Amino acid sequence: MAIKRRNFLRGSATAIGALTIGQAAPFYFARNIAKAQDGDTIKVGILHSLSGTIAIIETSLHNAELLAIEEINAAGGVNGKMIEPVIEDAQSLVQVFAEKAKKLLLNDKVTAVMGCYTSASRQSVLPVFEEYNGVLLYPTLYEAQECSKNVFYTGAVPNQQLDEFEPWIVANLGRKKCYMIGSNYIYPKETNREWKALLEISGAENMGEEYAPLGHTEFSTVLNNIANSGADYVFSTLVGDSIVAFYKQFKQSGFTAEDIPICTPITTEQETAAMGAENAVGHYTSFNYFQTVDSPENKSFVERYKAKYGANEVTNAVMEAAYFQTYFLAQGIAKSGTDADALIYEGLPGQEFNAPQGPVKIDEKNHHTHLWARIGKAREDGQFDIVWKSKERIRPDPWVDQLYPNKDCDFTNQSVLDRLKKPWSEEKNRSGTMDI
Amino acid sequence: MAINLAGGGATVRKVRRARLIPLWALILGALVMALIGTSPHYAGTDSYVVGLIGKFLCFAIFALSVDLIWGFAGILSLGQAVYFGIGAYMVALSMKLNYTLENATRYGGNIPDFMEWNGLTEVPGFMAPLLSTPVAVALALAIPTLLAFIFGVITFKRHIYGVYCAVITLAEALILERFIVEYQAYTGGFNGITDYSNLRGAPFLWVIIAVTVVCFLGARVLTHSRIGTVLKSIRDNDVRAEFMGYNVANYRIFVFCISAFMAAGAGAMYAAWVGIVSFLDTGPLLSVEAVIWTAVGGRATIIGPFIGAFLIRGLEFVLSGLDIELAGRSIAEYWQIFMGALFIAVVLWIPDGIVGTIGNWVRKRGTGTLGQIREDQDRLAHDRQHDWDPAGATKPGEERV
Amino acid sequence: MLQQLFMQSLNGLGVAGILVIAAAGLAIIFGVAGVINMAHGQFIMVGAYVAAYVDSQGGSMFLAIPLAFIVVAILGLVVERGVIQWIYDRPLETLLATWGVGIIIEVIMKFIFGTLGQKVGWPDLLDGSIKIFARPPHFPYYRVFHVALAIAIMAVTFYIIYRTNFGLKVRAVRRNRSMAGCLGIDTAKIDMLIFMYGSGLAGIAGAVIAPIKAATIDMGFSYAVSSYMVIVLGGVGNLLGIPTGSFLIGEGETLLAFRYNTVIGQLLVFLAIVIAIRVFPRGIFGYQERR
Repeated sequence: MAIKRRNFLRGSATAIGALTIGQAAPFYFARNIAKAQDGDTIKVGILHSLSGTIAIIETSLHNAELLAIEEINAAGGVNGKMIEPVIEDAQSLVQVFAEKAKKLLLNDKVTAVMGCYTSASRQSVLPVFEEYNGVLLYPTLYEAQECSKNVFYTGAVPNQQLDEFEPWIVANLGRKKCYMIGSNYIYPKETNREWKALLEISGAENMGEEYAPLGHTEFSTVLNNIANSGADYVFSTLVGDSIVAFYKQFKQSGFTAEDIPICTPITTEQETAAMGAENAVGHYTSFNYFQTVDSPENKSFVERYKAKYGANEVTNAVMEAAYFQTYFLAQGIAKSGTDADALIYEGLPGQEFNAPQGPVKIDEKNHHTHLWARIGKAREDGQFDIVWKSKERIRPDPWVDQLYPNKDCDFTNQSVLDRLKKPWSEEKNRSGTMDI
Repeated sequence: MAINLAGGGATVRKVRRARLIPLWALILGALVMALIGTSPHYAGTDSYVVGLIGKFLCFAIFALSVDLIWGFAGILSLGQAVYFGIGAYMVALSMKLNYTLENATRYGGNIPDFMEWNGLTEVPGFMAPLLSTPVAVALALAIPTLLAFIFGVITFKRHIYGVYCAVITLAEALILERFIVEYQAYTGGFNGITDYSNLRGAPFLWVIIAVTVVCFLGARVLTHSRIGTVLKSIRDNDVRAEFMGYNVANYRIFVFCISAFMAAGAGAMYAAWVGIVSFLDTGPLLSVEAVIWTAVGGRATIIGPFIGAFLIRGLEFVLSGLDIELAGRSIAEYWQIFMGALFIAVVLWIPDGIVGTIGNWVRKRGTGTLGQIREDQDRLAHDRQHDWDPAGATKPGEERV
Repeated sequence: MLQQLFMQSLNGLGVAGILVIAAAGLAIIFGVAGVINMAHGQFIMVGAYVAAYVDSQGGSMFLAIPLAFIVVAILGLVVERGVIQWIYDRPLETLLATWGVGIIIEVIMKFIFGTLGQKVGWPDLLDGSIKIFARPPHFPYYRVFHVALAIAIMAVTFYIIYRTNFGLKVRAVRRNRSMAGCLGIDTAKIDMLIFMYGSGLAGIAGAVIAPIKAATIDMGFSYAVSSYMVIVLGGVGNLLGIPTGSFLIGEGETLLAFRYNTVIGQLLVFLAIVIAIRVFPRGIFGYQERR
């Protein structure tokens, strides 16, 4: 008897499962068909990890992009059409990024995709965008040394964050003994390579260089080494969880920002909030944008973000890039229509926008973005006092002059354009990089 | 409850007398494979669906490798992706090395870009053999098998099984993952290995299908051979099997090596097909996922892993792009909660998995042979773990918690 | 050099303290109920978020510790009653079910708290460091606190298991479940209480680990895996297995990290563990069943 009852229960559970799937499936497909028939919208893919290890950061980019789309639609859309976001979760898996990018381009036929955060994810979707001629807007600061006609990079490249930072440290803090600590992957390695070149130019000393595994949170050994090296400031390119753990343990172990300040191109308001402002006070960050930027555009951006996602949220530079790149895209579509080639060659290059950080512009030649440089000193409420600001926005240089004096990208150059016009199978190098 | 254990032998005899593969299964399988193989023609060669199908086939083989040791031999490994991942990395490295020889990287050199930005100027000597494709494939299969052999000798010879084995393999996967991220000059690190000319389209899809068929037929033959019978007896009661004179450890090592070999093959094809390999392909997450595919599809069935891998992975792909608002947020933002609930539901209500449960209905066997035996066996293992206290192990006054 | 080595071994002690706190709950559950809780990392994470909540309300960490214990113990009760009580007989499948539980907890916590890391501060009492040597790095008070708390948790657990009526029953169930049941002990209830106690300890672990970094959704997994390794190495036959395993792993990883690097340290310790289980198949303090 008992067995029969159990059978019955199991049977009904499975049946209910089958029913649910059976009902959901037509609903899902019907919805997609409805979307496809609806020609009054402009589809834009939003491809970030909403689950998995990187979701913690990428969700805020996803939010910023949705906020911008909402605003654009509220203001009447683009050329009278609404922007329709097509949301995909890439699950923090690089293969899924590539598959979803393919799906967005070929099945959903989106006009452009905004997405990716890590270099790993960008590199995994890059071949897809090049082969199927899609448009990707990528909001993260990254190690540069890359150009693709299909990608518009709205985050900072090293020359926009570092070139002014190092001389400023020497001149204003009077410190010339640097210890470099970074997470062990491409961004810190490449950034430190440039930093070392800058140190050499200003005659500063490199006291040591160390890389902690990604996600590492035990820094006692590193702190030991820093003390031993005799450095008078630390240049940190740690990312993620490691930032918070490092700053906290730095303070707990008896180091102070007066003795040895931490200077970094990465730590944002998000991390200072997570670590508790008292652990960050007095340390320096070089970035294009801080939440404290004093402009009407920024005030309204911060206000609207908090109104939509909660008063405790903070904004940071990568989110700001995610936000203004949506406007770049809308303006680009308004200028040239939704065709990918038109966007790539006409719509987006040279596009300007009055972003929260100030007026920004996409470079015609290398598809990166002209951004402002600022240096912030962390204060007691977790925000940054902007202690220095560049006089004008800084031109992006993906192949920094200190390391690659003869290299640059140029998508306005006729010979590059001719090469790019060849079919994909003949010419796989979509890069605009050339020796000059 | 122990009575059923005696009945287990009778069942096995009955199955052995039956046809190895029933005709209807053969026809159905051929139809499904034909459908999959021709997918590039009606879905388009470029379609992401074709890409997914090839990937899922590799995952199905991978899940089968888990099923072989877990379903048929009672060894739960939560680190099976170690073998999958090493296979994948060998092939990916080989393809990347060959690709960069002909196509300069963005830095302009002819070695993989991750080597360049780590300061290497030429391919290190120990990697040179990978330039030859046959050698790379051979290594991709041999290294994981050898590793499995070593691991098996260390653990199974000492009767480490069950939860202990699961936990050790989990740690193994985590450490390999960290190792790959750390030694990025040789592995690509966090970025993984990407941008090499992967094999796409119908021809290689047919290769994957052929390997899949061989693996599933091979598994069917193995599990229905004398070895398979012994393995099942070990799974159901290893102490008795040992008393019967079988060398339990050697049987376990054997099936563990076969399984690692299969996982490595799946990984090798996966790397060639997908064109991206990342450290997550060697880690605990993928390992546990493979176990879940097997559990959902049906443990100790041959076709279960296949169904489980396609169903779960397919469901994940659809749910993670499902932009329907529910409870004020898009499902794409929290779809994982459904997967979590599904795992719990499967364990609680359909422990035999989809295929196993359907099989039970067809045979009208109630909870089914596997379900019954498994419960008995796990209860035995459970009791033994707690009650076994050979004379003298606990001295009077020496309390154990 | 000598100073560094000395500091490094002290740090190893601090890491071992964290491991004891993180592993104690898991080991007790496994030792008595025979269940490995794959959601242990998420339990730790929930404890950390409780501490973050208390911190954001201006409460002290000393308030957060008992609160985290209670909240996560209740969570443990829900999980035990809702899922695990049906599958005690199938230890391998509890791994899968609790994995699913872990996923659900993560998604729910993400919903409640968002994805930003949450700040957890130290009470002023623990802010600062012992200045053993003249120049930094000094030995932070919180590492002392971790070690002290680890000792306290072990002492309390010893007391409960060996000096109370409840502990007597636990030992009876541990030794021979069916016989204990025959003698009128409600073994299911013992399992439940032990699961709650172990979960509560995971909550404490989260509350005291979070101040080192921040409360984040995915913080627990690596601690959970370290805890599994503590169990494998130390064994659950005796409570002493937890501190022994933690000490060996903590010191081993820290000292090797100093000599080589962190990943090599972890790799070597793992290899050492694999070799150690050749000698102690059930951990150093496990039941030595067959030879």
